Amino acid sequence: MRFGGLTAVDRVSVNFYPGELVGIIGPNGAGKTTFFNTISGVLRPSSGKLLVAGRNLTGQRPHRYAQRGLARTFQTPRVFSDLPVISNIEFGLKFAGRRRRKYWLWGDETTVPWALRDARGILSLIGLSQVAELPAAAITPSQQRLLEIGMALATRPKMLLLDEVAAGLTEGELEEMARLITRLRDELDLVVVWIEHAVGTLLRYVDRVVVLHQGQKIADGTPTQIIRDPNVIEAYLGDEVLDLGEENR
Amino acid sequence: MNGRQALMRDILVLVGLIGWALVLPHYGSEFAVSMGLTCLMYVALSSSWGLFCGSTRYLSLATSAFFGVGAYTTAIGLGQLAWIEVIVLGSCIAGLLAIVMGAAVLHLRGTYFAVLTFGMAELVRHAISYFEKSASGTVGRVLSVVPEMSVLYLTVLAIAIVSLVLSIVIRRTRFGLALIGIGADEQRAQTLGVNTRLIKITGFAMTAAVAGAVGAAMAVRWTYIDPHTAFNPFIGFQTVLIALIGGAMTLWGPLIAAIVFSILAETLRLQAPQIYMMSLGLLLILSVLYLPGGLASLRWETFRDWWRGTRAWVKDRRYELSGDKERDKQRARRRRIV
Repeated sequence: MRFGGLTAVDRVSVNFYPGELVGIIGPNGAGKTTFFNTISGVLRPSSGKLLVAGRNLTGQRPHRYAQRGLARTFQTPRVFSDLPVISNIEFGLKFAGRRRRKYWLWGDETTVPWALRDARGILSLIGLSQVAELPAAAITPSQQRLLEIGMALATRPKMLLLDEVAAGLTEGELEEMARLITRLRDELDLVVVWIEHAVGTLLRYVDRVVVLHQGQKIADGTPTQIIRDPNVIEAYLGDEVLDLGEENR
Repeated sequence: MNGRQALMRDILVLVGLIGWALVLPHYGSEFAVSMGLTCLMYVALSSSWGLFCGSTRYLSLATSAFFGVGAYTTAIGLGQLAWIEVIVLGSCIAGLLAIVMGAAVLHLRGTYFAVLTFGMAELVRHAISYFEKSASGTVGRVLSVVPEMSVLYLTVLAIAIVSLVLSIVIRRTRFGLALIGIGADEQRAQTLGVNTRLIKITGFAMTAAVAGAVGAAMAVRWTYIDPHTAFNPFIGFQTVLIALIGGAMTLWGPLIAAIVFSILAETLRLQAPQIYMMSLGLLLILSVLYLPGGLASLRWETFRDWWRGTRAWVKDRRYELSGDKERDKQRARRRRIV
């Protein structure tokens, strides 16, 4: 992905398999958010291809990505502030989240996981049932972040891209968020891709880690593998990664 | 007030409006009917404008282009085609023009969109006057065969009803929700599955179709049209002002504001036309400052809040001007030092 003279993401090639929780880490400016923007259709890649379940989605507009099951959250929670929380969730349900009903416009929707059956279900999954009627601008920022995840879930995705959802959370909230994410992955059989700066928590929960540095992929493997990877230690906050190595040992 | 009650209220007001509008020609003077006609015209224009531009926050200044296109369709076609056909044709041509214009301009936002739509309206105006001068050799056109005033009145009333019914219905459908989503956060709506380009072009074309139909109808009111009167940008501005002052996102705001403005326009036009223009501008400034939701958002609480705000302001000024504020500041300063 090139912006004028700046190559923000340089030949990063990643495969995602169903049911895995992948973390993407890297120092600031490594191109993580640009990578996300490119694979969710917000930016058109200058070169390269994007295949989702065999379909080529390169260069399509974001709504097509959403309809094919790719949902994302944004780094700063972008919710519809004037609408109540439950309408925010219903928005996704009414557009990319629509599925064929059993008897054409009547009956239950087919092929929808039980947890995502309706707005109330999604709200209870993410834990915001008690603020359902409040306008989205009136809830706290960490609740707004949960609402972001809820809105992404409302599109009944197959792959969920989480962009720094843990930024600014306390230790306890971080654990809860990580538990929620693994629960989403397990119950809904999603691929969850998680960009994060809180490397410690990430490494405890993910199955696989991709490390980006200055636009290039420098490592791709399980957490234990990348902790020992010399490229990673050299490029990225070497001390922190070594400390985690100490912890995990 | 839940959804069903709101729908009943909307339908009742619509029926009331239709009743009044139908009765007016029988019991009102010719002046009142003329005023009613202008009012209905602006109701149609501003409620269709408000439906698209109010929700999506794309302020379009191109209404005069669509109006003029409709007017010219009547001028050219009224001899050959029937009245209804001419109206429908004017509406379709205006819709097509909007699709072309929208494809070019709708990916821009805010001020760029507003200025470009205005520019395109002027482009259409000059293109038509050039075409008229070179191809047809005329500057304006005279409409010789015009239908009666009652037919005109009923046509404009029908268009206004269509526009209001569209407003009532669309607000409750997925299309209306998509428009609101585009206005709230377009990129977020896109990632949630809304095909924003298609929806924007459709909404824009809808606004244009209503404006074209109104233009096609109103052309017979002035029996002589030229590009200057048909594409008068003031029509576009007045539509925007009425929709904004009434409350662009609401259903009944444009209606209320259109009534207020037609009364104002007709009463002030003879005595002091400049005062009418000034009052429009002044009302817009006041409503943006003190009543951002428009006239439709006026409630009893609003008046109460204004009254309280004014009293608090007066109290502040008295406190300041009588010197008490200075004395209290000095006292606080002394206490802090001590």
